[in-house]
Amino acid sequence: MTFVLAAVIVAITLAITFWASRRNTSASDFYVAGGRISATQNGIAIAGDYMSAASFLGITGLIALNGYDGFMYSVGWFIAYLTVLFIVAEPLRNLGKYTLADMLVYRLQDPRVRTYAAISTIVVSAFYMIAQVVGAGSLISLLSGGVLGASVAIPLVGVLMIIYVVVGGMLATTWVQIVKAVLLMFATIIMTVLILNRFGWSFSNLLGQVEARNGAEFLGAGVKYKNPVDLISLGLALVLGTAGLPHILVRFYTVPTAQDARKSVVWAMVLIGAFYVMTAFMGNAANVLVGKETITTANAAGNMAAPLLAQALFGGAGTAGGEFGLAFVSAVAFATILAVVAGLTIAASTSFTHDIYKGVIRKGQASEREEFRVARLATIGVGVIAIGLGLLAQTQNVAFLVALAFAIAASSNLPVILFTLFWRRFNATGAIWGIVGGILTCLALIAVSPNIRGIDPPEKTTGRHPVQAAPLFPYENPGIVSIPAGFAFAALGTLLGAARRREGADQDFDEMQFRAYTGAGTDGTVAAHD
Amino acid sequence: MTVSRIQPGSPPLRNVAYQRLVAERNRFTVVMTLTFLVLYFLLPILAGYNKPLMATKVFGNVTFGYVFAFLEFVVGWVMAAIYVVRARAFDRLAAEAQQ
Repeated sequence: MTFVLAAVIVAITLAITFWASRRNTSASDFYVAGGRISATQNGIAIAGDYMSAASFLGITGLIALNGYDGFMYSVGWFIAYLTVLFIVAEPLRNLGKYTLADMLVYRLQDPRVRTYAAISTIVVSAFYMIAQVVGAGSLISLLSGGVLGASVAIPLVGVLMIIYVVVGGMLATTWVQIVKAVLLMFATIIMTVLILNRFGWSFSNLLGQVEARNGAEFLGAGVKYKNPVDLISLGLALVLGTAGLPHILVRFYTVPTAQDARKSVVWAMVLIGAFYVMTAFMGNAANVLVGKETITTANAAGNMAAPLLAQALFGGAGTAGGEFGLAFVSAVAFATILAVVAGLTIAASTSFTHDIYKGVIRKGQASEREEFRVARLATIGVGVIAIGLGLLAQTQNVAFLVALAFAIAASSNLPVILFTLFWRRFNATGAIWGIVGGILTCLALIAVSPNIRGIDPPEKTTGRHPVQAAPLFPYENPGIVSIPAGFAFAALGTLLGAARRREGADQDFDEMQFRAYTGAGTDGTVAAHD
Repeated sequence: MTVSRIQPGSPPLRNVAYQRLVAERNRFTVVMTLTFLVLYFLLPILAGYNKPLMATKVFGNVTFGYVFAFLEFVVGWVMAAIYVVRARAFDRLAAEAQQ
């Protein structure tokens, strides 16, 4: 039954894709749906982009296994939208560019920054994508009773995603995300209503049962994160990282005006907020109704808590209702993963084609036809890389993996975006130092952190650290060091490059600022490149 | 995109509406951003350094930690609503600045 439902959802989304493909005639259509998505549609699509497998599968699992600490992810991910709303959404839309690199080159007038911005986009997208394909892998291997392992599931997701993006472009991706967001909200609401019904319409009763099973500490902080600095580091990465995520940024270019960009973010906040509040119910209910042992048996990192909860709510394992619940929620999660990965792929392949191929390799000389073709080829390349990396990271909790992508985005993209928009003296050297310094600091800290290094007790066979040695950096999320480092590198580079400041840099800043604040020069569609 | 270069000190930049827009928007952005960052970081800081408070039951079995976390959602929605209202004034100034 699961496969029938999953097949129906895949069929619907493929139909959308082919419908969209007939309307996809230019590179602008492919990248940003020609800038003609409405604010409401875009808001639902942003929410669809954001309520990823990491949120739905990952957070439910984290709360089910660690109690309150898991819910802190939900709060951070929601509040992060205020950073997007207040600081980046409108100015970026006002500048009317396709990518982060376009914005940097427009302001700094230096072709070197294009390459670095594109690399940053691709690195962040890749980390985010790993989490999604890992989610897909655990889901499908659970559904097939272990017959289809992650090594089959991950390529399957990869191929479907490539089809969506190559054939349908941004228009199809947007609609797939809308359909998926609606399905996901529907599933979450039904489950929450069933949970409340089960526990006498009282969150307090639910928590009482959690306490009876796990002890009082489960209702407070500190089960997963013993060290306060770890929590603050994670919070920084979540709250500051969203504003630097390429697949969120690209969404502001798909709407006609800056007002629409703002409205989209508000729509997204309503949906995302409602969704994340419900994770508190789902996670705790999974702890009580499914139990930690069953959840960790299905997937050690907790990624299967939500589908197993649906099974329990609809009548339990072995009943027709239970199997339907499991199948429906799994199919929704599967659609979720496909939609999110498609959005990421668009961001990464746009960046490669538009910034590296057209901007750097062909020095802006590529014809639209050629660019369109390379964009499709790049999509296939990005898909293959995502599949490969996903196979390497199968055993990690997906919410945690995504948090690392946020740390990289917050350390490399955010300093550069903020300085570009608001710092008159900022220059190309600063942009390059900020991007390279932020990414390298982040990756270096992850490499020596407990994510990679650690000494496992000999009886533990799952979740072993790849390097059996004491970690050199004590925190799981590098944000607390790497985010200030990213800002410091960008500032230092700016000062070092100041001597070679171009003539006209002041005018460029004034012009960029005038547009960022007023939207002058953006006439309702995304302007042609340069 | 071909747009004539805006010269330093040229009319659009000396435009009163534009200068007001920049000043008001910057002030608004800084105040709102600092407010929500402080409100948000209270959560991990309390969760890290005051675990007994977070585990204190406020009503029934609902702990202070959950109440505080749910309030963060209310903060987010309220601040977004304030922004939407304020942004209308910014839109008017932006339109004036382009006259």
